[in-house]
Amino acid sequence: MTEKNELPVIRPAAGDACQSESRSGLFQHAIDSFVEFCRSRSMFILHYCTGCGAIELPPAMTSRFDMERLGISPMVTPRQADILLITGYVSIKTLKRIILTYEQMQGPKYVIGICSCTVNGGMYWQSYATAKQLNEYLPVDMYIAGCMPRPEAVLEGLMQLRDKIESGAATSWEDYFKRYDHYLGKQQHLFGKDWHTPTDVIEEARHYNLLGEGTLGENTAVLEKYLRHHQELDLTRVALEPAKTNLPDR
Amino acid sequence: MNVDWKILLVELILMPIVAFVVGLLLVLLMRKVRARIERRVGPPFMQPLYDIIKLYGKKTQISHGFIMDLGVIMVVGGYIAAEVFLPVPGMDGMAREGDLITLIYLMMVPSLGLALGVGQCANPNGSIGIARALTSMLAYDIPFVIVVAGAVILYGTSNLTEIIAIQQAGGLSSWGVAMMPLLAIGGLISSYAMLGKEPFELYIAPAEIATGPMVEMSGKYLGALFVMQCFQVYAVSVLYVTLFLGGGENWFTFLLKIAAVIFVSASVTTIFPRYKTEDAIRWLWKWPTGISLLGLAIVMAK
Amino acid sequence: MKESKAIWLDNVLHEIESIHIDSKSERRIRVDISPDALPALLELLKGRAGYLHLSSISCVDWPDDDEFELVYHIWSYETNILISAHTRVSRNPGFYISVYDIHTPAGFFERDIYEMFGLFFEGSPNMEKFILTEWNGPPPMLKSFDTEKFVHETFDWKDYNPDWLQEIVAKGGGIVE
Repeated sequence: MTEKNELPVIRPAAGDACQSESRSGLFQHAIDSFVEFCRSRSMFILHYCTGCGAIELPPAMTSRFDMERLGISPMVTPRQADILLITGYVSIKTLKRIILTYEQMQGPKYVIGICSCTVNGGMYWQSYATAKQLNEYLPVDMYIAGCMPRPEAVLEGLMQLRDKIESGAATSWEDYFKRYDHYLGKQQHLFGKDWHTPTDVIEEARHYNLLGEGTLGENTAVLEKYLRHHQELDLTRVALEPAKTNLPDR
Repeated sequence: MNVDWKILLVELILMPIVAFVVGLLLVLLMRKVRARIERRVGPPFMQPLYDIIKLYGKKTQISHGFIMDLGVIMVVGGYIAAEVFLPVPGMDGMAREGDLITLIYLMMVPSLGLALGVGQCANPNGSIGIARALTSMLAYDIPFVIVVAGAVILYGTSNLTEIIAIQQAGGLSSWGVAMMPLLAIGGLISSYAMLGKEPFELYIAPAEIATGPMVEMSGKYLGALFVMQCFQVYAVSVLYVTLFLGGGENWFTFLLKIAAVIFVSASVTTIFPRYKTEDAIRWLWKWPTGISLLGLAIVMAK
Repeated sequence: MKESKAIWLDNVLHEIESIHIDSKSERRIRVDISPDALPALLELLKGRAGYLHLSSISCVDWPDDDEFELVYHIWSYETNILISAHTRVSRNPGFYISVYDIHTPAGFFERDIYEMFGLFFEGSPNMEKFILTEWNGPPPMLKSFDTEKFVHETFDWKDYNPDWLQEIVAKGGGIVE
């Protein structure tokens, strides 16, 4: 899973690894707060909305409640987006794909849980196939309660998120690395003991210097047997059997 | 080559900065025009700059290899190299050394760079997108080259500074638009196709192929592509203004003219859907090519 | 034309023995039939009376009778009449015959019923799971499966005790359970 030729290589950004406390020095502090300001003024939402709350996003984007004047515009792939909007109930099947999508996004990234179903189960709290609390499986920055919240409420929530980003308090994506064992344990509670994603989260945590004591644990021990180290490709022989891939079990 | 190399060096540093700033304003103009036509307000003034700084401030880098990095550098570098050949009021840059033909070659480099970069990504959306981009480049280059050839024949020179001097010497009636109107129309349409805006937006196509070549570009790569968009808008509009609208006598009229070109483009973009690939090629090889050939015949007959 | 079709339909339906017809309204007919005769009924309706569209197959769980009730909704475009054919299938053994060769959409509905109720359909082309692919428990639509108990066992709840709620509880009120 690390450094195979087909899978993308996750590199740390040029410069220093990220740390949650701001760096010392007046110049660096000024640059950091300017970059945080720009991050808060230009938010790209992932235009993939799960569940029934997605219907409240087109009104927020069209001419009556224009979102673009706040700097928010939709982007189509997780690689290009900052914010993952979870609008509506999250069935177990969808939750798997949401986690895969979340791990494909680039940091700093934010998750907003719109609608009451992400808060505490909502209307489908008695259902055997929906996840009740979203922040057990993913770190969530902002909840917007409602069923569905009106576009004014969505915009209010996005503006609060903007203020949170500007003040530097929206660091939940680092929390995913710091407590990855806890999150993976909760995910495996739903999906099975062997569940894992193709993203090497521990290696990323190591690159960002976010390897806390909550990152490795008993749940992440299962990932060891799926880790493949880089091997030289033997070009003299034809492969006789298909290569085993590291995709999660279906 | 009687040019002071010190002045040339200063110009080579200043001209990209000018192009970037003007490009940011033009991108903002496009978004504002689109928003106003859709009866919205549109982004605030510094929005393109915030987008670029935010993208460069991403902390994760996802690269698919060295060729992808090289491809993105080619994309941005191609347009930066192209715009130093475009004279602005007060600075001529390399326009005296290189001429229109060099400029056309340089404006094809970014698409090839993008193809290189996307090829390594191994994402099918990206491959489809870049195939469409190169196909549409084949489509719009035919009328574009005819228009450029017609302009060169009319002015008798392919040096951009002399073209501007000829147009400004004669006043309004010696602008390219007045002297070769058919070629001006053909050039306008093919320059919109070069910008990749509706109805020729087939290589970006956000909802269809997930933004095509940009699908795996993220963070700093996407920031570089946004910078490319600024330079691209600037280069295409300034080329059109130089050939047909008399260049810029001073900064005020220069900015007004390129804003007019982009204003019309953004208005057309907002109200049209996008063509399919084969429809775009068929249309671009029929109408703009036909009009340009007619204009070329008229010019050659004079 | 419609008159004669209605009479024809009546004749067609009465050809089958042990059938019970109840005309609920002008366009809704309920038919109760034994499970052996149901495929023949569907074929008859499709071939001779023009009931070409199978809208849906529903299933009801009768735990006290130890039976499943299957309801086949068939629609005719010419007379605009919906016939609902009800049959009772016993739970042991828990399988029934598929009507995929008569109406092709039945394959989809039967796959759904097998996943939710556990009733197998023989002759249906594909009986794999497609909705509840992450589910390992019993068929969830059975009345014997208590979904609320399952939810309380598997998931945790958020604590929610804001000040205004504490004030109400202090005065003797609270949340209605």
